[in-house]
Amino acid sequence: MEFLQYTLRKLAGGVPLILGVTLVSFVLMVYFGPDKTYELLSKNPTAEEIAQVRAQLGYDQPFWVRYGTYLKELATLDFGYSDSTGERVGAILQRTIPVSLLLLAPGFVLGNLLGVVLGLVAAWHRGGWIDKAIMGFAVVGMSISFLVVIIAFQVLFGVVLGWFPVRGWNVHDLGSYLHYVSVPTLASVFVALGYNTRFFRAVLVEEMQRDHVRTARAFGAGAVEILWKNVLMNAMIPIVTRVMFSIPLVVVSGSLLIESYFGIPGVGKVTFDAITSGDQPILKAVVGLTAVMFVLILIVNDILYRAFDPRVALK
Amino acid sequence: MSEALLEVDRLSVDFVTEAGIVRAVDDVSFSIRPGRTLGIVGESGCGKSVTSLALMGLLPRPAGSVASGSVRLGGVELTSLNERALRRMRGAELSMIFQEPMTALNPVYTIGAQMSAVLRRHQGLSRRAARARAIEMLERVGIPVPARRIDEYPHELSGGMRQRAMIAMALSCRPKLLIADEPTTALDVTTQAQVLAQIAELQQELGTAVILVTHDLGVVAETCDDALVMYCGQVVEQAPTSVLFETPRHRYTEGLIAAIPKVRPQRLARLPVIPGTVPDLAELPPGCRFAPRCGFADETCIRRQPALETRCESRFACFHPAGRQAPQA
Amino acid sequence: MSLPTADLNPGADARLQPASSPASHSLWGRAASRFAADRAAMIGLAIVMAFFVVALGVWLDWWGGNWAEITGGQWQPPSAEHWFGTTILGQDIFARAIFSTRTAFEIGLVVAIASTLLGAVFGALSGYFAQTPVDAVILWLKGVLDSIPFYLFVAAIAFALDGNPWAMHIAMIATFWTTTARLVRGEVMKLKNLEFVEAARAIGLHPLVIIFRHIVPNTFHILMVQATIVFVAAIKSEVILSFLGLGVSDSVSWGLMIAESTTEVIAGHYMNFIVASSFLFTLVMGFNLFSDGLQDALDPKRSGR
Repeated sequence: MEFLQYTLRKLAGGVPLILGVTLVSFVLMVYFGPDKTYELLSKNPTAEEIAQVRAQLGYDQPFWVRYGTYLKELATLDFGYSDSTGERVGAILQRTIPVSLLLLAPGFVLGNLLGVVLGLVAAWHRGGWIDKAIMGFAVVGMSISFLVVIIAFQVLFGVVLGWFPVRGWNVHDLGSYLHYVSVPTLASVFVALGYNTRFFRAVLVEEMQRDHVRTARAFGAGAVEILWKNVLMNAMIPIVTRVMFSIPLVVVSGSLLIESYFGIPGVGKVTFDAITSGDQPILKAVVGLTAVMFVLILIVNDILYRAFDPRVALK
Repeated sequence: MSEALLEVDRLSVDFVTEAGIVRAVDDVSFSIRPGRTLGIVGESGCGKSVTSLALMGLLPRPAGSVASGSVRLGGVELTSLNERALRRMRGAELSMIFQEPMTALNPVYTIGAQMSAVLRRHQGLSRRAARARAIEMLERVGIPVPARRIDEYPHELSGGMRQRAMIAMALSCRPKLLIADEPTTALDVTTQAQVLAQIAELQQELGTAVILVTHDLGVVAETCDDALVMYCGQVVEQAPTSVLFETPRHRYTEGLIAAIPKVRPQRLARLPVIPGTVPDLAELPPGCRFAPRCGFADETCIRRQPALETRCESRFACFHPAGRQAPQA
Repeated sequence: MSLPTADLNPGADARLQPASSPASHSLWGRAASRFAADRAAMIGLAIVMAFFVVALGVWLDWWGGNWAEITGGQWQPPSAEHWFGTTILGQDIFARAIFSTRTAFEIGLVVAIASTLLGAVFGALSGYFAQTPVDAVILWLKGVLDSIPFYLFVAAIAFALDGNPWAMHIAMIATFWTTTARLVRGEVMKLKNLEFVEAARAIGLHPLVIIFRHIVPNTFHILMVQATIVFVAAIKSEVILSFLGLGVSDSVSWGLMIAESTTEVIAGHYMNFIVASSFLFTLVMGFNLFSDGLQDALDPKRSGR
């Protein structure tokens, strides 16, 4: 009961944020956005036809009514029809979101897991050659553009080596899934690993310097036990926070690039097409949903805090 | 006269710093018999904490290392043991508790979990047995309702209780030696007295030897059988506590005792303090390290370091020690 | 598992410093000498300086001016005349790469300086007036900007500004100031409890004077480091934006070169791609090393090392 109250309160707190995001996006994209009136009309439109189309598009409504309509769409998840394909936006999202998730999940999980492991190794051997080597790789990884990696991998694995497909998404079973997801996963891990490792290493090193680590040693605890119980468990909060907050970045931005480049029919590609073609309904939907996702992540993060740190109370 | 439990012989500890290699502990020797309490006293930076860390093999690496000397516990040479062997001894043969109870315990595990881990590690107890023993120890250190407290997290206990829990944990495997590094400095005076009394009580029951590291002479006077005074990494005086307070020999000790605020028959205009400050360990004077601040120093003191000599029951290193009469009241 | 070289004891710094005394005792003097002793940092600085000179030369019209001219045949291999060969249109790749250095610095500097200024101002106000409506509004603004997906935001601004070439810069500035602001806010919240602030208030200084003349200067180390991080982020973002068609349009940049090359590489024409990527990588790497060195010099206890 207390938990439910807490969650509801947090959700309520997220409302201003959602309003803010949707308002800003609405203003930028829709209000200042392309005027689609003339696209729907024939060569020499009459004044009546123009007025008719404008009414149809809702352009004649005052600002707040139009914004209100947008919010309603968001609440009911009904965004109308895509400008370019005419398909229901809801259906498009239903079709493409799972694809994006399947595509990005392995890379995301691996990128963070490996980052923690490497960060642990580097922090453990702090100052030694292993540490320097890992940090060296991390800096190099950080300095390579994602786009460069994608292009390079596509050429390397698709054209030169021919091991994996580099376009499309013909997935019908586990085998073909692994086949198609490999290059994108490799690319995202490659790019994320540098940043992740550095961050995790810093957090872990800081935890290794706490008093309770010394106490554990003073009572005879071994290296593995100390690393797990004293260092890792206490580092979980900053680690989890970071992982959670990287989700919007990975999911939206990452998917945009990978999918448009590899021609994979996910949310990112749809968004990319929508940007280039100015397909407003889709853009409105994506932005709105992203804001909601952000708020949800904030809440989940708060809850995970509690799970990992008994000092934090559910207030 | 029982044999010494711990023998520290000419121990020296070096640290690598930005200013070069610094000797934090210089040629320190002392011993302690079973069941006795030794107080190591001195200002911040005198090397007392480093000494205790060196005994446990807990010097911060790679900066700190034992440069020379030996530490023998029950005949076993600690400085030559590898990490695995040391681990077996820590918590079981010798234990250490630290100054800050707030941060000394792992915040994400319950007291019980942490205590049980120690018990299971060194005594191979089952989970249930370890928990029962932990509750028993908590009761012995005077924590009320131990069966409930054992499942609480460190932050749910007060500072005093946390320190008691640490003591319970440290003594749960009945070590022969307990090193307490400023255990009460972070606590208020009342709690301080309680915690010290607790340590003394348990010491009696279990026959543990205790090394109490502190900067507070009052604590030493109350609880220690013997006292060791350190200055700039060296032992400057060692004596049974009553002897130390009645007839301090080294001028530093004399100054420290004179500076203790106490009720005097005649009110003084000012509290006698030791002038000057402790020298930087990287820039030590060539002769007696206390000479720059000593009112009795002369040419010899500035040029040569005094050697430790024994007179009556005191060991001290001073060219012009205080005499046999009682110090000025 | 034997205990390796790591030290699990608190308070130990594993870095062994040589036994030389620091050159001066001021904060910046000590930082400068630490920086100078850091080889990786000096290499980074050298790289950045080298690229800066190249960019300067383009500004002053010494070289790279012919980036748009068609001076050779299509897809010529590297030769004495065209050091890196030519593009699909016959433009000199080397000249384009050189000119792009100026583009990169332009974007990087504008975005870094503007976002750092914004971040400093908002962060300081937010931190000083923490827990008040001012803080709440700024935090809300930060949250909003943080949760708008970056590329969508750029697209939106591009729409709104109707193709203005500064759309990209504005979008970047509007996104990147939030991290700086967050860090400054944290630092200001710590600083405002110190005694010198209390003293300033006691003698009746106006809060804005206190904030900007006394507190903010104590955050310069944060601002400097953040500026370098933003510079790198800006350059890297430009690459992807150009690929998406939202970036540079009227001149050339490494991003544009790479975007152009996406169709070429399949056909085996790698020069455009390799040259642009290498230039980009080298500058970014150099800046990263420089940025790391800066952080270490200003705060040697940083656990990132």
